[in-house]
Amino acid sequence: MAKLTIDDLKRIKEKVQKEDLFRAGAKRIKVTVHMGTCGIASGAKEILDTVMEEMSENNVNDVIVTTSGCIGICSREPLVTIEEQGKEPIVYEYLTKNKMRQIFKQHIMGGKIQPEFIMARGKEQDGR
Amino acid sequence: MKVFRAHILVCGGTGCRASASEAVHQEVVKEIAKKGLSNEVSIVETGCNGFCAAGPIMVIYPEGTFYQYVKAADVPEIISEHIVKGRPVERLMYREPVTEKTIPHMQEIPFFGKQMLIALKNRGLIDAEKIDEYIARDGYMGAAKALTEMTPDAIIDEMKKSGLRGRGGGGFPTGMKWMFARKSPGDVKYILCNADEGDPGAFMDRSVLEADPHAVLEGMIIAGYAIGANEGYIYCRAEYPLAIKRLNLAIAQAKEYGLLGQNILGSGYSLDIHVYQGAGAFVCGEETALMASIEGRRGMPRPRPPFPASQGLWNKPSVLNNVETFANVPQIILKGGDWYASIGTQGSKGTKVFALTGAVNNVGLVEVPMGTPIGDIIFDIGGGIPKGKNFKSAQLGGPSGGCVPASALNTPTDYEEIVKLGAIMGSGGLIVMDEDTCMVDTARFFMEFCQEESCGKCTPCREGTKRMLEILERICHGQGKDGDIELLEELAYIIKDSALCGLGQTAPNPVLSTIRYFREEYEAHIYDKRCPAAVCSKLFKSPCQHACPIEMDIPAYIALIRANRINDAYKVMKKTNPFPGVCGRVCPQFCASKCRRGQLDEPMAIAWLKRYIADNAKKPEIKAVEVTRRQKIAVVGAGPAGLTAAQDLALRGYKVTVFEELPYAGGMMRYAIPEYRMPRDIIQSEVDDIAALGVEIKTGVKVGRDISYDAIKKEYDIVLLAIGAHKSWTLDIPGEDLQGVYGAVEFLRAVNLGKDVKVGSKVAVVGGGNSAIDAARTAIRLGAKDVTILYRRERKDMPAWENEIVAAEEEGVKIEYLVAPVKVIGKDGKVAGVECQRMQLAEFDKSGRRRPKPIEGSNFVLSIDTIVPAISQSSETDWITKDSGITVTKGGTIALAPKKKTATTAAGVFVAGDAAKGPATVVEAIAMGHQAAAEIDDYIRAANGEPAYKAPAEEVIEIPFEVDEEVTETPKAKMPELKLSERKITFKEVELGYNKKTAYKEACRCMRCDAEL
Repeated sequence: MAKLTIDDLKRIKEKVQKEDLFRAGAKRIKVTVHMGTCGIASGAKEILDTVMEEMSENNVNDVIVTTSGCIGICSREPLVTIEEQGKEPIVYEYLTKNKMRQIFKQHIMGGKIQPEFIMARGKEQDGR
Repeated sequence: MKVFRAHILVCGGTGCRASASEAVHQEVVKEIAKKGLSNEVSIVETGCNGFCAAGPIMVIYPEGTFYQYVKAADVPEIISEHIVKGRPVERLMYREPVTEKTIPHMQEIPFFGKQMLIALKNRGLIDAEKIDEYIARDGYMGAAKALTEMTPDAIIDEMKKSGLRGRGGGGFPTGMKWMFARKSPGDVKYILCNADEGDPGAFMDRSVLEADPHAVLEGMIIAGYAIGANEGYIYCRAEYPLAIKRLNLAIAQAKEYGLLGQNILGSGYSLDIHVYQGAGAFVCGEETALMASIEGRRGMPRPRPPFPASQGLWNKPSVLNNVETFANVPQIILKGGDWYASIGTQGSKGTKVFALTGAVNNVGLVEVPMGTPIGDIIFDIGGGIPKGKNFKSAQLGGPSGGCVPASALNTPTDYEEIVKLGAIMGSGGLIVMDEDTCMVDTARFFMEFCQEESCGKCTPCREGTKRMLEILERICHGQGKDGDIELLEELAYIIKDSALCGLGQTAPNPVLSTIRYFREEYEAHIYDKRCPAAVCSKLFKSPCQHACPIEMDIPAYIALIRANRINDAYKVMKKTNPFPGVCGRVCPQFCASKCRRGQLDEPMAIAWLKRYIADNAKKPEIKAVEVTRRQKIAVVGAGPAGLTAAQDLALRGYKVTVFEELPYAGGMMRYAIPEYRMPRDIIQSEVDDIAALGVEIKTGVKVGRDISYDAIKKEYDIVLLAIGAHKSWTLDIPGEDLQGVYGAVEFLRAVNLGKDVKVGSKVAVVGGGNSAIDAARTAIRLGAKDVTILYRRERKDMPAWENEIVAAEEEGVKIEYLVAPVKVIGKDGKVAGVECQRMQLAEFDKSGRRRPKPIEGSNFVLSIDTIVPAISQSSETDWITKDSGITVTKGGTIALAPKKKTATTAAGVFVAGDAAKGPATVVEAIAMGHQAAAEIDDYIRAANGEPAYKAPAEEVIEIPFEVDEEVTETPKAKMPELKLSERKITFKEVELGYNKKTAYKEACRCMRCDAEL
């Protein structure tokens, strides 16, 4: 691929932001499984597999699944962030396969968030 | 179609099957058939309904009752109760979870709200393996700006302006470092990233590399351009496979985009970055050793100068920065040095990432503005110490850092301030330690680490750390000797001054800082062969016994309960404790706080088991001991300290007379602790055992009133003062002379003397200890309608026991937290109200708790007619004359002679209990009583030139060893209690005691740490 220029960099930025299937409305929900070493050690891979299984079992195709690193609070891993268009992200903590299945069925498919497993809603703020 | 009167739906989804719904289903089929209901009830196995976490799930229609966590064993109950009798089984029913509104926002959780993200700004938001996601969050914009709009000098100026200092630990100004390298002549230069994170408990760099590798690459591009380097290395230890994988992926992606390699972004600048995998040697975090390692040589440091900025990798000018330093750079270039410098303190700018680990609730990675107090990180962001334990120390800076005590909690995170404490900022490891950590063991651990990681090049480090480790190990094994601390210090300073590199120079820091702040712990190990935290296992049989001030053989008497030999158990207890029945009720249980069972579920109910033995065992008959010694001993005060000493001295053949002012012996056990906690017959029977030895107890005789101190001094060879602390502290506020103000001790004593004490209908008690609770619960029993405890801190800070606080609340006592009285308001000479002020918690005090600070203008008046200050108490010492030779301390206690444990400054006069220590506990008083007896006997024998006392052989009681093969989590057995309605109107004992079955069950929980396998 050709070398990038600064304009290319800006274009990529805009493109990514525009093409974000979730923000563009093509996908309804974004599921981020946090997979730093802490998350993986606490079973994040199993959680990710569970999400994928549930998607194929239930023929769900309007959900984006992505991974990311540690969000800092390692003692509450595995953590998953679920973001619905136009709503505040919800972070679930101490997940297990069964909790993830319940969240998938009830929240992702059924729209009912599961307060028992939630750590918090919203996003972190970065520096001023 | 067949009609059923009920349908049972058992979930057969994957989730529920995984939690054994199969067995539930089969059990339902079996039970329905057994009850002959097959024609009435249909059983359906359904697909997943989504409540997998609560599985196995069962739903019963027509009601639609939702049962969760159903086990096969629950099925018969569900069928017979719900299907047959129509009564849904409540305990298995689904409970509505809390509503959505109560979900906190990230910013409302102190863990997130108090952080400020710069180096970690992308954490949890982007996929680290997709460069586009990094670019979408302004990624590589800093590099673009630097390469196309700025000169290298302008970049260095911006970095200097930002005030960024090396985050690897040294704290050297980054801009300066870059400037030196830029100014060094040469056309080949290197930019290096130190990702050799090796401090125990530190994981900042790993997390940054895993979550946001491009941020580090971008920082390196900017730095490389600034110094004129075209090649760079990231030195990352091989034990970070995920970090290395993501780094290599990020480098490949950046290369593909032309963000690395030739002519980056068309700017003409070229840079290649390689990942070099280190083998995990701690010394390779030292810059010259790291470079030697990259060069393919053995990782050993060399003396500096020359510094790497002039002669670094392959003797070419090089800059080595840490991962976190680089991650900050793109933001500084993008937003400007002034922006960065606006955050933090005078000398330490920006933010710092800490890896928060150890005894703290929220283990994780935190980024805070520089200057945030250490205590805020531990208690607000970290959520404090788990299991209600006390904070002891924080270890900052890894093996090169130090351990700081509670008094350092207010110290801001600032390079210079932390150095003043004897620690270093380091790369940001922050290990929290609670009361169960032994500081000598901690120092030993770090010294072992440094000794193992020493490269061996220079003698001070190679040999010195080894010798220091040997001394520390000796101390931990109980073989420490006088002079060891001084020797450690001497070695430490020699190593600091003469070691070649940072590893050696800083290796003694953990030892020096622990000696500086926790010297008494070293002394306890060396002189008393005690490990106060009950960690150094060579020093004791079991942690519980070691933690007990009188070293009761707890595992032994618990084992004897299990073996159904409680009469023997009683004898074991009596060997060290003359008041097992009392301690079984009111002991604060230092033992239980160190109980290993507590690490699994809950500590053993040691006191309650002790009480079970004391209440149920057959007491051996006590015979008088023949008086064989000619010295006569007077004990003033018949509390636990005085009586214990009297017992021991009688057993050693002395004639002992105890003088007690009050009508009965027992001291605070009888006159401060209310009867509903401490029945009088229990105290009396244990006092009688002591009298039976031949101890004469003269009650109703006050020294100084009924008999003069001088007369006693004249008649007796030795006087032991065990006068207790029977005088309440006043609040030192206006209005305390009004009628209706009673000190807690005086109030409880009057009640316990059987006087007709009239409390009003509205009572306020001031304080947060057990005395405050005792006064409040007593007031309820005397008929007060409204009892409020005023406490100036929060509930978690109350020294009173949790079960006592709960019992008080059950009985109707209200507790107002963060409130302090400022004035007692009177009407016609009587209490009519109390003016209070609301408090807020401010900085930390020496105990590690936040200090309450009044909120101006928050005053309010509580309408009351009685107020009981219960803040502390002191001894009555006004009878002590100058020529008695006895000294009273500023704190109001009787002073000890130098290096003595019970001898006072007057010859032949000893002191024990609260009068020496200030208000303490029964078991501590007993311990001091034992000590006083031993010291008195030694004193007499030494004066006579006799050999030291030799205790006669004790009866040998064989202790069985029986433990469960498998340990299952079981909380401690509950204590049965008197009905609430009865509690509020009588002084009958509230806690009823274990029965045989419960005591056996509880005894079986003991894991027998005393066993030698």
